[in-house]
Amino acid sequence: MDVTEILKSLTGKFPEAISEATADSEIRARAYVDKEKAKEVCQYLKDALQFDHLCSVCGVDYIKRNELEVVYHIASYDHPVVLMLKARLPRDSPEVESIVSVYWNANWYERETYELFGILFKNHPNLKPLVLPEDMLGEWPLRKDYEGFPNKTARNLV
Amino acid sequence: MGEVKEKKTSKSDEISEEIPGVITTTTSAIHNLIKKSKAQDIINWGRKNSLWFMTQPMGCCGVEMIATGCAHYDTDRFGIIPRNSPRQADVMIISGYVTKKYLPALKRLWEQMPAPKWVISMGDCSISGGPFYESYSTVQNIDEIFPIDVYIPGCPPRPEALLQGFVELQEKIKAKKDRGTEY
Repeated sequence: MDVTEILKSLTGKFPEAISEATADSEIRARAYVDKEKAKEVCQYLKDALQFDHLCSVCGVDYIKRNELEVVYHIASYDHPVVLMLKARLPRDSPEVESIVSVYWNANWYERETYELFGILFKNHPNLKPLVLPEDMLGEWPLRKDYEGFPNKTARNLV
Repeated sequence: MGEVKEKKTSKSDEISEEIPGVITTTTSAIHNLIKKSKAQDIINWGRKNSLWFMTQPMGCCGVEMIATGCAHYDTDRFGIIPRNSPRQADVMIISGYVTKKYLPALKRLWEQMPAPKWVISMGDCSISGGPFYESYSTVQNIDEIFPIDVYIPGCPPRPEALLQGFVELQEKIKAKKDRGTEY
């Protein structure tokens, strides 16, 4: 399967959930997914299209559009395509269904996205901070309106 | 000869315990007497020649720290031996950035070490933050938390620099200028 067939199969299965599906090159594809259908699309990708490997889950803060985006990079061992799935979330209540039941390694990725962006992954088995201390929860350091960086508490040593 | 923290007792209590004709003394009084005498020089000579450091690597400086403890640089000739347990160690080397999440664990290790104990701050990260200066997740001003005797700049410092830092710490202990003991 090459990249156009994959995108055709995906848009044919989910005509309403998938939008702006484009192929950047022979090995890269991108698509926006509806946030309610993200888990179903991932399940279909894994079962029907042999996309076995979840590379990363991360977040992007588009503060001018008042939106957060959660980005999934999903790759395949059978055909050389990396698919970038994005889901738009409202900035005041960013919630998306967890995909841990589909890709088990999404567990820690989602925990890190949660602690840095505040994106709540529903039905996650263990949603707590991964590398940040517990008392920093709620500050969401990688959001654009975060005020704790640069941290000016250091004494001037010079 | 461990350092015993002097218990603060009011003078009235000491007078009430005094028995006429009998000179009473306390452990802390003996320690204070020793600290002011020449005997402390001999004690410090022993301490400076057995600076066992804790193998607690925290970043890329930790690799240099381990290399310093290995056979090529042979710190054993100065009496500096890597130890795996904080309860056997005299020197803690802060060898990397201290994140807010790691600081409680580092404090716990420091509290587990028996006195007398010293701290060496190794590398730019532990001195000022290095590349992580002004970051949201690292602890700034580490010298306010631990009594640091020697700063070793470098990113990371070479094992020779760490050896030099140990020698400087030995000189400080010999001169009774270290911050690990109250003289």
